[in-house]
Amino acid sequence: MIATNQKQDGITLKMTSAVEYISPLGEALHALCLYATGSESCALDVQRAAIEALNNVILHAYRNEPGHDITVRCYQENRQLRIEIIDGGISMSFLPQPVLPAFDAENGRGWWIINSCVDDYYYKVVEYIERERVLRPTDSNENVEITLVKPHVNILTLIKEF
Amino acid sequence: MVINEQKHDDIDIVVLSGRFVMADSQDVRERLKSLIDEGKGKLVIDMEKVSFIDSSACAVLISAFKGMQLRSGRLILVTSPIVQSLIELTRLHTIFEILPTLPTALDAFSVN
Repeated sequence: MIATNQKQDGITLKMTSAVEYISPLGEALHALCLYATGSESCALDVQRAAIEALNNVILHAYRNEPGHDITVRCYQENRQLRIEIIDGGISMSFLPQPVLPAFDAENGRGWWIINSCVDDYYYKVVEYIERERVLRPTDSNENVEITLVKPHVNILTLIKEF
Repeated sequence: MVINEQKHDDIDIVVLSGRFVMADSQDVRERLKSLIDEGKGKLVIDMEKVSFIDSSACAVLISAFKGMQLRSGRLILVTSPIVQSLIELTRLHTIFEILPTLPTALDAFSVN
């Protein structure tokens, strides 16, 4: 796990897609939030939401495959903490409803926990397209367009007010 | 996370300490399953020293609950404040029997 302090972007943590790194990253986020807000309950809420989101990235975006990058960026805007969880895996096409499953269902509580612990959240899929137009000195002034689709990123942003 | 198994008469006790999250879930699930399969239908999961749980831990607890129900057994949880708060957040306190300390949980078996 690598932590970097970028002045304008808050603090960025990076991990590889292995379950054993989720917990230490969660503890690091807890400490960062406690430092920023002075509130233990706020820090616990952020840790809970982030860990559920990271579980989902590993299980669903990366289908439990190791060796993929996950980035967590934490920054403050006025009285809001913003935590971005960034991956390059399979994108969600919709946000699951944050409802509790049947009492005896083993899975499906993650989004309820996320929704309960933060004040707002949203999900973005950022697609990058690079377009090149090549002009050649011919009589017909031919030009060639090359379009490259670059790897996308998924960004889940959690917002916690304090 | 540290998993400690104990026995008190015919009551199986699993004492968990540390963080109980997805990385630990499979191991705990397997240990609980074998205790449930081989035990006498009385199980206490002591989480007084658990400092954090997530939804995957809840899944393991529900699996243990269902396993005990199938065998007409009884499962009692002992929780820490952080564990209790997540159990209440996910409304699981309506299905689990939760007592504050291990001695209280052991007494509960002898009362009934």
